Amino acid sequence: MSEERLPESENDGDETPVLIWLTAAALLAAMGAIFLYAPTEATEGMVQRIMYFHIPSAWVAFFAFFIVFVCSVLFLWKRDREWDIYANASAEVGLMFCTLVLITGPIWAKPVWGTWWVWDARLTSTLVLWLIYAAYLMLRARSEPGSMRARYAAVVGIVGFLDIPIIHFSVLWWRTFHPQPKMITSEGIGTGMETPMVVALMISLGAFTLLYFLLMGQRVRLEKLKDEIDRLKRNRLYSH
Amino acid sequence: MDNLGYLFAANAFVWSGVIYYLFRLIQQNAALKKDLDMLKAALEDDPKS
Repeated sequence: MSEERLPESENDGDETPVLIWLTAAALLAAMGAIFLYAPTEATEGMVQRIMYFHIPSAWVAFFAFFIVFVCSVLFLWKRDREWDIYANASAEVGLMFCTLVLITGPIWAKPVWGTWWVWDARLTSTLVLWLIYAAYLMLRARSEPGSMRARYAAVVGIVGFLDIPIIHFSVLWWRTFHPQPKMITSEGIGTGMETPMVVALMISLGAFTLLYFLLMGQRVRLEKLKDEIDRLKRNRLYSH
Repeated sequence: MDNLGYLFAANAFVWSGVIYYLFRLIQQNAALKKDLDMLKAALEDDPKS
């Protein structure tokens, strides 16, 4: 049985002020584009602007779970603790954004559909995704640290990702309440929306992606600090 | 009808969630860094280790 390798004794202590300021500037630009530049949608009114938070949150959640998938595969292949750290961190950040998707969606749905929730394919499969990654984090929290925990988590991380194509295609495969894709249609990219709306959405998507990298950096650093403390404690224990 | 209350609620959830999570991570990082520094200092003071 191959042992997983611990990362080097460092904690990535360098702050990332450039990323912090870049993210803050991008979020401010996104807020400006959403509330000052993008026009108000004719039928839904102001509440349609929730889309500029809802879609980027969904994008970041899917991207984060894709990173979990890739890192889980790499962990099973290389047995390097570093990949397990990245998978764990990305799952937590992804679950946070998936939670925001499941909160902002119903807040938009209530005035537009007249109900908070319907059990249609898109909404249900997104809830299933949330439950899978909540289970992933609970599995990690309840298991003893070590290579077995990392291996089980990697399998859940890989299998869980299979739900994302189902979510994406659910609005095409089944009749759903959820709006059809407007950003990418058969006629091209951004043809289903007015240009200022596309611009605002793109800025918001960029800002949320930067936010993902900022949160990931902090979460990875936390895990590496924990590892380093454990390593020093073990060294101290064995030296006596 | 503009339903500004819903827009405000969605905004409030998004930003409060993100800011809470970010500050919790920063706090936990700071606490662990402090623990690590203390542990390193203890190891340096202890000649056996």
